[in-house]
Amino acid sequence: MKDIIRVKCLLSTEVEALLNQQIKKEAQSSSAYLAMASWCNQNGYDFSSDYFFLQAEEERMHQMKIYKYVLDMGGSAISPEVTNIKIEYNSFKEVFEEALDQEISVTQSLKNIAANCYKEQDFVTIEFLNWFFKEQREEEYKARRALELFEVIGEEGTGRWQIDKNVGKIVYNSEA
Amino acid sequence: MQNIATAPLVDFVEVFQTVNGAVFQSDRENCWYVDFAGKMARFDYRCMMKLRKAVYHIDIEALLLSSELTPDLEIVFICACDHCYVLTLLEIIAFKELLEGTFVMLELNRILHDRVYRLSA
Repeated sequence: MKDIIRVKCLLSTEVEALLNQQIKKEAQSSSAYLAMASWCNQNGYDFSSDYFFLQAEEERMHQMKIYKYVLDMGGSAISPEVTNIKIEYNSFKEVFEEALDQEISVTQSLKNIAANCYKEQDFVTIEFLNWFFKEQREEEYKARRALELFEVIGEEGTGRWQIDKNVGKIVYNSEA
Repeated sequence: MQNIATAPLVDFVEVFQTVNGAVFQSDRENCWYVDFAGKMARFDYRCMMKLRKAVYHIDIEALLLSSELTPDLEIVFICACDHCYVLTLLEIIAFKELLEGTFVMLELNRILHDRVYRLSA
C-alpha cells in the first residue's frame, strides 16, 4: 500500500498545526506593533513610532516565511484571523513592556514547536526554525535594551524625549 | 464485434474497518474510498485531510450535554468536495472511530515504509 500522506506532505499534522499557530502569532505581533506605532505617533514619539513600524514589517515577513514553508512542504497554510489588538496604552513605558512580553512569547512558542519537532525527528523543520531562533536573539535584545533606556535615562524632565530619540539607534551586531 | 464485459480494475486495499464502515485505499488513483452511512465516497488527499479536520472538530461532549430540542444532527460539509454527510450523534461517534483507526493505520503504513524501504540499505 502506497504511503500517500508522506508523499503529499513532509510535515506531520501536529507540526503543521503548530506552524499555523505560529503564523497567527506572527500576524498578531505585526498588528500589535502597528497599534504601538500608531499610539507612539499620536503621542508625539515619532522615532519610536518609526521603530514599531519597522518591527511590524519584520513580523509580517516572519509570518510570510512560515506561511511559504508550510506550503512548500505540501501542507495547508491558513491565513489567520487577527482580533483583539490592544490599541490604548497607559504610558510610553507600557508600550515597550508589552513589546518585550510579545517577543518573549514568540520565542517560547518557537521553542515549543522545536521541542515537538525533536520528538518526532523532524530535522527539516528544525533546520528551518534555526533562522528564527537567531532572529529572536536580536528581537529580544532590542526590546530589552529599549526598555532599559527607561532606567538608564529616566523619565523625568526631557527623559522621554531622550528615550524616544535613542530607541531607533539600538542595534544588535553580535556575530556569536 | 464481441461484447465482452470487462470487470473494473479493483485495486482497493482495506485500510481500516469497523462494524459501521470501512476505508479503502486505491494506489492507482492515489485516493481513499470511505464506505460509511450507506454510501461509498471517494476522497483525495486534500479532501481526506479536510474530512478528518471537520469530524475531529465536532464537539461530541457538547452535543451529548445539549438539552436543546433541536435534532442532534450534524452536517459534515467539506468545501470543494463532492460529498456531504448528515449524521446523527451516534453516527458521528462511529465515524470518528473509523477515521481515527484509519489514520493510525496510515501512520503505521508510513513507519513500515520507512523501516522496510526507505531506511534499509
